[in-house]
Amino acid sequence: MLKGVASLVSRVRKLDPGHLRLGTQAPQSLAAQLDNQVSFESPRAISCTNENDPAKHEEKHEGLHYNLPLQDVKTVFPHGLPPRYAMQMKTFNEACLMVRKPALELLHYLKNTNFAHPAIRYVLYGEKGTGKTLSLCHIIHFCAKQDWLILHIPDAHLWVKNCRDLLQSTYNKQRFDQPLEASVWLKNFKTTNERFLSQIKIQEKYVWNKRESIEKGSSLGEVVEQGITRVRNATDAVGIVLKELKRQSSLGIFRLLVAVDGVNALWGRTTLKREDKSPIAPEELALIHNLRKMVRNDWNGGAIVLTLSQTGSLFKPRNACLPQELLGKEGFDALDPFIPIQVANYSPKEFESCIQYYMENSWLQHEKAHTEEGKKELLFLSNGNPGQLERLCAYL
Amino acid sequence: MAAASLPAWLCLQPGARALRAFSTAVSPTTLPGKAGPRTTERTSRLERPSRRKALPPRTEKMAVDQDWPSVYPVAAPFKPSAVPLPVRMGYPVKMGVPMAKEGNLELLKIPNFLHLTPVAIKKHCEALKDFCTEWPAALDSDEKCEKHFPIEIDTADYVSAGPSIRNPKARVVTLRVKLSSLNLDDHAKKKLIKLVGERYCKTTDVLTIKTDRCPLKRQNYDYAMYLLTVLYHESWKTEDWEKNITEADMQEYIWTNSSSEKNILETLLQIKAAEKNLEVTKEELLGTKEIEDYKKCVVSLKNEGDSEYTLSQYKESVKRLLNLT
Repeated sequence: MLKGVASLVSRVRKLDPGHLRLGTQAPQSLAAQLDNQVSFESPRAISCTNENDPAKHEEKHEGLHYNLPLQDVKTVFPHGLPPRYAMQMKTFNEACLMVRKPALELLHYLKNTNFAHPAIRYVLYGEKGTGKTLSLCHIIHFCAKQDWLILHIPDAHLWVKNCRDLLQSTYNKQRFDQPLEASVWLKNFKTTNERFLSQIKIQEKYVWNKRESIEKGSSLGEVVEQGITRVRNATDAVGIVLKELKRQSSLGIFRLLVAVDGVNALWGRTTLKREDKSPIAPEELALIHNLRKMVRNDWNGGAIVLTLSQTGSLFKPRNACLPQELLGKEGFDALDPFIPIQVANYSPKEFESCIQYYMENSWLQHEKAHTEEGKKELLFLSNGNPGQLERLCAYL
Repeated sequence: MAAASLPAWLCLQPGARALRAFSTAVSPTTLPGKAGPRTTERTSRLERPSRRKALPPRTEKMAVDQDWPSVYPVAAPFKPSAVPLPVRMGYPVKMGVPMAKEGNLELLKIPNFLHLTPVAIKKHCEALKDFCTEWPAALDSDEKCEKHFPIEIDTADYVSAGPSIRNPKARVVTLRVKLSSLNLDDHAKKKLIKLVGERYCKTTDVLTIKTDRCPLKRQNYDYAMYLLTVLYHESWKTEDWEKNITEADMQEYIWTNSSSEKNILETLLQIKAAEKNLEVTKEELLGTKEIEDYKKCVVSLKNEGDSEYTLSQYKESVKRLLNLT
């Protein structure tokens, strides 16, 4: 251990020769860190588990964090993680997700799905900040590990607001295209499902315009490429991808997971307007139209997991969190029958686990954070709400 | 000399006195004669009109058991000298108390009911008794009154002293009736509520019809009764176009022929097809217990809104339908 410290010290001295004070202080802090690492081994067991495969997560793992390998994160979640969680991931240099009851329940259903039956829709709902998006990410990780094809729309609200460049669709004159959003999504889709793109062949000929067309039998990868390079055709490329995937998942070649976050955007209102300032309804957007077809349960060979979200929703009050309030009559009728799964605030055990995790990563620097009173205060202030707790701990 | 003393007068006696001094200045003949010892005095006793001393307020002479209705027989403004209560009103200054009643404008502005004390009202009732008939002995409870006389008519009569005894406000007639006392079936009740709109109160189940379009009270009363009759008969009739009602107009959610039914039937048929069980027909599916359960849950969700209980019921029923563990 001394040799290690000495070599580290010499490296530090080489890096900043002018800072002698830093040099002398460095070995002390390094030694302290090494000591801390040794002493923190046991508390790690309280909040983290070694079981990194979501397929093996059981009820005994409830409340514990499991590690997502960063390589997986880059492929499976190019766009899927909520921004605050991504920041936390960057700070801690690791991605740890807590195993919670709603996710376990969903995993149980998914493991027992009958792929001959029509796809079942599961809707995660709950108050703001309770962990719906991260539960969805847990499920996506599970499905990715099980080698399903993941169709992940990270936030459907992004497709109904603040879109510049709306083009009139070439395929259907009544609808509108969103080239930017479609091309961004296609890029991310490609990153996630690289290996499937060459395997799946399209079964129909599609004509882009007079000069270009795609023949029957070419791979899906080509369609995606065309969409990424030719931004004008991106929306149509997305439409083709969705249609083909839906058709072919029933054949049993692969299993399809459709994961949409903020699905209430599909049946709400948009803030987009035509040139004559008249509002556009969601069904007039080609992306939304195709996505609506995707979440219908007229195909089999997979599952549909959806999340409702008030953050980012348009024209919905702040405290709306229940399915009917956010989906509206149209949305509910379209999704019926579905399985509603509620995501609640942290239970006491989960709260403890979360605090332990923060303390291990030296995130809570306040002296009172370790004490019982400090924890009680945090519990009271955040009311067990994961999002709120994370924001509070950011200050400590 | 008069000129010299004039400014002194003007300073010492502002207002009307100054005017008087000025007027005396205008006629200098009066002044010099009377000047001399009198100009040193502030006021001249002959010029000042005799002024009564302020009497003590009437409140000091009031007995505790006096006849209050005679002090305030009619609606009158608040007279601080006639009301023996030490009442204070107003926003206090810092470290102060609200203003007293003497000269208090706030007490004058507000309406007071000093003329309507319980004693006064008792006297009014005694006086009115000669014009009233006996209350029927059989109607001793509210329910009996409602059972025998479901329709209540409100009218107002106005008496005032003036050149004319007519008051246009007296023609208003309000008719109140509880819908539970009318013989209406489900469709008739919904149709009646739709026809009257704002005039029906859901919490008390009371239909209120207020008429004032005719010049006489009698005519308005007849019109109100006519309206009630017409509403009753019209709500029992069913027109042809009523069967084109859309979902948006319906007050309650009806499951049969709804999109929810279609969805679930499609899903179940697909499941059955996947299991190669094609002999099952729609009617059989509709008759199963799980579908009944599901129907109840959806109807309660739609009619009552989301709640923990309804959502969990719905979840259980869907799980059972789709055979999930």
